[in-house]
Amino acid sequence: MKLLDIKNLHAKIGDKPILRGINLTVNAGEVHAIMGPNGSGKSTLCQVLGGREGYEITEGTIEFEGKNLLDLSTEERAVAGLLLGFQHPVEIPGVKNIYLLKEALNAQRAAQGLDDMDTFAFMKLIRELVKTMDMDDAFLHRGVNAGFSGGEKKRNEILQMLLLQPKLALLDETDSGLDIDALKVVSDGINRLRGADRGIVLVTHYQRLLSYVEPDFVHILYKGQIIKSGDKSLALQLEAEGYQDFLEAAS
Amino acid sequence: MSRIAEKRAELPAWIADALPATAAAPNDIQSAAREQITQWGLPSLRDEEWRWTNLRNLSRQTLVPSAGSAVAEVPHPISAVLTDALVIEFVDGQLKTLPADLPTGLTLTSLEHASPEQRAAAFAPAATTPNDALLALNTASAQQGVVIEVAANTVLTRPIVLQWQDGVVPESFSQTRVSIQLGAHAQATVIESVLGMNQNLCWRNTVSVVTQAANSQLHHLSLGLDGDHHLLTDRTFVTLARDARYHSLNLQLAGQLIRREIDVNITDTGAHCDLFGLMMPRGKQVLDTHTRIIHNAPHTTSNEHYRTIADEAGRGIFKGRILVAQDAQKIAAFQDSRNLLLSDQAEIDTKPELEIYADDVKCSHGATIGRLDPEALYYLQSRGISFAKARGLLIVGFAQEIIDEAPLPALVDWLTKQVTRRLGGTTVAE
Repeated sequence: MKLLDIKNLHAKIGDKPILRGINLTVNAGEVHAIMGPNGSGKSTLCQVLGGREGYEITEGTIEFEGKNLLDLSTEERAVAGLLLGFQHPVEIPGVKNIYLLKEALNAQRAAQGLDDMDTFAFMKLIRELVKTMDMDDAFLHRGVNAGFSGGEKKRNEILQMLLLQPKLALLDETDSGLDIDALKVVSDGINRLRGADRGIVLVTHYQRLLSYVEPDFVHILYKGQIIKSGDKSLALQLEAEGYQDFLEAAS
Repeated sequence: MSRIAEKRAELPAWIADALPATAAAPNDIQSAAREQITQWGLPSLRDEEWRWTNLRNLSRQTLVPSAGSAVAEVPHPISAVLTDALVIEFVDGQLKTLPADLPTGLTLTSLEHASPEQRAAAFAPAATTPNDALLALNTASAQQGVVIEVAANTVLTRPIVLQWQDGVVPESFSQTRVSIQLGAHAQATVIESVLGMNQNLCWRNTVSVVTQAANSQLHHLSLGLDGDHHLLTDRTFVTLARDARYHSLNLQLAGQLIRREIDVNITDTGAHCDLFGLMMPRGKQVLDTHTRIIHNAPHTTSNEHYRTIADEAGRGIFKGRILVAQDAQKIAAFQDSRNLLLSDQAEIDTKPELEIYADDVKCSHGATIGRLDPEALYYLQSRGISFAKARGLLIVGFAQEIIDEAPLPALVDWLTKQVTRRLGGTTVAE
């Protein structure tokens, strides 16, 4: 079943074209990795899918479960099941993590016609998830990402994914800035998200993550286009050759 | 070169006519203050400390002195939250009840029955310039008030609540004086809660005098949560002896015009003050706080955080002065003022003023005025949270960091609900 279907997507910021004809299909049950050098358009693709303002779509279509994604606001995309993990999670002092998690879960439930989750059940659920991410309960009562280390922020992103169980998880450089211990915890979390009815898109600069979360498909993004697709061996090849040689050979 | 004296507007007749021949202040002090206020009139925009706060609307009114016939109307909402509070009730500036069965070490005395010594202490701060006109007016007029004395080594576990119901009689005004005296090592919490009643116009001009002996600790809260039309001018003088700690939380949501002035004189080594404030003007409200901290001794510290959230045509004013006296070395003074504008008509004026006459001093200050962070809004929306709810979460979050400074967990929860309700949002239950 097709979850995400991107056809000939062109996007620009101001006058600057960033995406120049992206084609990508993600089916339920698949894990895709999108790799590329800095400035190739990885983050722009994520932000366009997330619905951030400031990007102009000049051509192409994006369908999510057969619906036009571009018709949906950022929050509608999230409750529909497309969740973006941020490369740089935003610090929001004063807003407790627990509030964010609860509001987000209840927004999703409301969209499904369900009542708010009972507070007791919610706390039980979230405490279990916190433990699996090797986090402390105190995290829940701190401001969202406020004063968190890089690793703590990324764990928090995965914690939100595990709670909200998106149909499609789009993880933008979730592995960057992590030490090996944090990388393992984050990778375990992502692996727990894997499932027959879920798609995962890992956007990353490094092959390292893909040793822990094995992708079904690897795509190389360069100058706003996917120039090569393959299986996980493509990532290893890229790592071995380095971006420059690889890209010169490919283009 | 001759200097042309600027002509000051006369004290409005309705205020002048209400000046008593004698009041609670010692006679010589009262008559000197009476002379000052008669000569100065009300503060005007030409007075440095009043440049941003116009009392013209007040001087145009004709208010009547509160007579004492009014009775308390509603049980104070805070008594449901702080069930063990010692509640002192004022209605239109008239003392109505003092609690019975006081804990050992606590003495409460009506100003009317205060001893000459207690009165001398309560009226110690003297007005020196027209900036102090309202202090002079209060000293010349105040007959009602209370003296709170906490004996040395007394640790009060029950909070003292001063509940002020203002405007029970419409278009009335009153002058009140509060004296808070803490003995050495004493600890207490005093919560002043102001209710503007029945949306009536009224004005109360009050002065508090806090004197803390060595190593004492006071949490002093001023909560203005209800009523749209009352005016309050409130000046608090704090004097800190060695190692004394004063913690102020100033939370102003209500009223037509609220002007608070907090003067902290840190007189000896090891003393510290924390001044936290949150003002949320909307409609045509003017919510104003001026603070002045004087570091008069070495090894003293102060920490000040003020926030304003201004919506509609509301106006927030914060001016924070820190003075480090000569030879007061090893000072650390921190101040920040962060402000949120939610509408194009709203206005926020903020000004730090540092005067430093010593050289071994760590002082920092910062002021920002901004709108809600679009990154934070997007982040919350990307989790499925609606724009309206995300906005509400961010505004409450901005306020939360100040509210969290309230001394009791039950109070933090309750104040969070008040602020959330005020923002028209729903409370996020845990």
